[in-house]
Amino acid sequence: MLANVNFPVLVEGPSEDAACQSWPAAFGTVLASATLSACGGGGSAAPPPAPDGLTEADAARFLSQASMGADRVGIARVQALGYAGWLDEQFELPSSASRWDWLIANGYADISNRNTQAGFDRVAWQKLIASPDTLRQRITLALSEIFVTAIAGLSGPWKQFAGASYLDLLEEGAFGSHRELIQRISLSLPMGRYLTYRGSAKENPASGALPDENYARELMQLFTIGLVELKLDATLKLTGNRTTDTYGQDDITGLARVFTGWDQDFAGADATTPDYVQRPMIQLPRRYETGAKTFLGTTIPAGTDALQGLTLALDAITTHPNVAPFFSRQLIQRLVTSNPSPAYVERVATVFNDDGKGARGNLRAVVRALLLDDEARSATVAASLEFGKLREPMLRLTAWARAFRVVSPSGNWNVGNTSDAGTALAQSPLRSPSVFNFFRPGYVPPNSPIALAALEAPEFQIANESSVVGYINFMQRAVAGLLGDLTPDYSGLLTLADDAGALLAELNLVLAANQISASSLATLTTAVQGIPSGTASSRRNRVNAALLMVLATPGFIVQK
Amino acid sequence: MNASRRAFLQKVAALSVARYATPLAVSLAAMGEAAASTASDYKALVCVFLYGGNDYGNTLVPYDASRYTLYQGMRPTLAYERAALMPTVLTPSVALPDAIQYALAPELARFLPIFSAGRMAVMLNVGTLVEPTSKAQYTAKSVTLPPKLFSHNDQQSVWQSSSPEGASSGWGGRIGDLFEAGNGNATFTCVNVSGNAVFLSGHTAVQYQVSPSGPVPLRAIDNPLFGSAACSAALQTIVTAPSQHLFEDEYSRVMSRSLTAGRSLTTALAQAPPLTTVFPADNELATQLQLVANMISTATQVGAKRQVFLVSLGGFDNHDELATVHPGLLSTVADAIGAFHDATLELGVADRITTFTASDFGRTLTGNDGSDHGWGSMHFVIGGAVNGGRYYGTAPIVANDGPDDVGQGRLLPSTSVDQYAATLGRWFGVSDTDLLTVLPNLSSWNESQRVLGFV
Repeated sequence: MLANVNFPVLVEGPSEDAACQSWPAAFGTVLASATLSACGGGGSAAPPPAPDGLTEADAARFLSQASMGADRVGIARVQALGYAGWLDEQFELPSSASRWDWLIANGYADISNRNTQAGFDRVAWQKLIASPDTLRQRITLALSEIFVTAIAGLSGPWKQFAGASYLDLLEEGAFGSHRELIQRISLSLPMGRYLTYRGSAKENPASGALPDENYARELMQLFTIGLVELKLDATLKLTGNRTTDTYGQDDITGLARVFTGWDQDFAGADATTPDYVQRPMIQLPRRYETGAKTFLGTTIPAGTDALQGLTLALDAITTHPNVAPFFSRQLIQRLVTSNPSPAYVERVATVFNDDGKGARGNLRAVVRALLLDDEARSATVAASLEFGKLREPMLRLTAWARAFRVVSPSGNWNVGNTSDAGTALAQSPLRSPSVFNFFRPGYVPPNSPIALAALEAPEFQIANESSVVGYINFMQRAVAGLLGDLTPDYSGLLTLADDAGALLAELNLVLAANQISASSLATLTTAVQGIPSGTASSRRNRVNAALLMVLATPGFIVQK
Repeated sequence: MNASRRAFLQKVAALSVARYATPLAVSLAAMGEAAASTASDYKALVCVFLYGGNDYGNTLVPYDASRYTLYQGMRPTLAYERAALMPTVLTPSVALPDAIQYALAPELARFLPIFSAGRMAVMLNVGTLVEPTSKAQYTAKSVTLPPKLFSHNDQQSVWQSSSPEGASSGWGGRIGDLFEAGNGNATFTCVNVSGNAVFLSGHTAVQYQVSPSGPVPLRAIDNPLFGSAACSAALQTIVTAPSQHLFEDEYSRVMSRSLTAGRSLTTALAQAPPLTTVFPADNELATQLQLVANMISTATQVGAKRQVFLVSLGGFDNHDELATVHPGLLSTVADAIGAFHDATLELGVADRITTFTASDFGRTLTGNDGSDHGWGSMHFVIGGAVNGGRYYGTAPIVANDGPDDVGQGRLLPSTSVDQYAATLGRWFGVSDTDLLTVLPNLSSWNESQRVLGFV
């Protein structure tokens, strides 16, 4: 299959014309029909008493970590239920229609789409922007950046269905058992395709060729245990001053023998429908390595059944002491902060190892512990000049879309592939350039204040001279309603637009949890005040300009 | 506030001052003056990184009858037909011992005339090493081995920086550190046209990451924002404003650099003479190299005397479908580098530009549908200054767990990346003393072995 390892490459697509300087007149009628509850007061109305006594800003900040983006309804809901109550409600929310079913319902199973990716970006964005189970979507996105596949590398037909079924699989497992999730991932055809063990054959004595080592290596290095032994708090376990490798080449060669003989399951049919892409892989016994398999100090005896062998192998790997800290720290980085304290990691990893009822790898319990931890919730910690994370570009787009309840009247959700750094987001759902994700968890921007402070900042790996500008250009189109037919509801903002201060206060709250500095806010307010007011078109210009400036402000771009 | 915290904040403050001392609109005339007072020549190193680990066995193919048979036997489903290799057999000016012959993969045919003209050298079995390492030493683990062998991200990093993932500087950037003061605008010393790579980060040099189509203009500043010039001005203020928050501050530093450098580079590129050399279409590596050629042709306008570039192509991790995918990748590489070399001839600077390939690692020689992660590999060095038309290094014995491989045809490198880099660095003008700091493992080799002489 196509190689999955390279750093992000900047490729310019056709340039967009600068058609976003003025507002399309027809757009206002669409806006008038949409509604946005509880927005008219601009945040001045006192919130109802809440279990946790939460302010609107507290709630907005929580949602920046726990959802695809805050809006007025969500803020009120968090205030009403408290953090834990809101999480409980989200855990129990039913899933929206699966990506798979959406593709079927929208006709993408037609044979003409067999060798395309048609429909994938649409359904991926539709879920991220519009699915009501916002916590589950946030976790699904995070999991897709830990257990990485990418649609371009899902070699073979029906890539859109393969990508959809993989994301559906992650979504179904988002609040479930980590062990079960690893089992399903390992048997999924998309992963089999992406890391090339679908079709991997046993050792060939004639040529000396050994089974494909791709999945064996990345399963351990990237998905479960990492390269070196860790303490429960994810700091390095040292002997003297030396680290200990978790595995060597012999372990990979041994484990690779487990991932032989697996192949797609046509179930007696053929590839004219995508159904087989969704089925777990099955065994082709003639390719399966029946000999013993030794790795990580475990030996699976010769003659062990293939599925049993795979299950035993995953049991051995997922009970390695590195799994809890390795996974917990990365999930914290995806949701809350790039540099969690070791104690915070240890608290979450402890819950990973035992949810309090003896269960290991209970992801619901892990998510709850992670988001309710004092380090995530403390206003004092949040005020530190090192806390937080760069919002990844996909989450910046969804923050805007969720805040203003974006809809796609056509149902097409034509956001597109947003991978291009120069013209879009340098990132797009399930389109990492490699199995190493868009950015590495330990990335440090060189020659930066962050490096001087010995901190990590993963998302900065895709923040460069092109992408920082490409993002603003892209959002200018989005804000103006020129991104496909994505239609925001600015009705609440328009009622505030004649009062620049109120308009910016509202944006600061909903988008940035009041984290934009007073001086930046003053600069923006003065600028917006200079735009004429009092007419529908001038109000719309004020809203557009204020929105774009807030979305471009480092105070928004860095989630704290 | 403790002392280290205070010292740290002072460093941050220094960084901020450096940033804002530069006016947004850089004076090209001033840069020209600065450049005139420094070196009068120009040189560029261009690294072509092949991400994923290029398959050496199907890049430089054993051709003499006995070695071809061994090659074919180890990868019967992947091997080129011997007859297909005949047109690209290399005839070096210095023959290899034991009648060893290699052919380029047929898709690399564009390299053949460059090799014959003496402007391309072939580096045999080069890879990451900490010190000279024999098979016996490898087996006995009696020498220090490179960390995290066979791991993509780590070996990319070791190739580029001498350290595994997490390294803060690479040897391209460390070379840039030595020359950025001589460039009129230090920003354009280390230029990455393919995203982000540690190779081009120095201790002080910052890699400038540019899109293959050139700098991306910020529409909201270049035009009134939704009709408001005041909002455009406010936007520029807030996106470049310093912040006490480290992440906010770094983000605005990147934005400031983007706006400042983008304007001066856009101005310079607008004056680049149109090249008659045709770069192949639908070739992302060629698109990147075309921008490099245009930047070289306007280097004096941004005051650049020494530049290190990185371009890249992904897709080389061919565990699967190697026979169908890899040939196309090689065509892409040869067509792109060939066109770039032609462009340097057209510009009259071919002897000032040295282009070289690099990759995560080589791969196994055994294989079914593809090959696995390996170690040593074969690489190419191209340019008018290259002492080409021949091989450098030692041809490895074709075997599975023979004397020159650590199993499966994973080559134990006989030449280190440090030697390869030192040779390039010395040509670029790095002193022998400075080479030892640019390449921390170089001192493990005898002085007479540190520089290989291919350029």
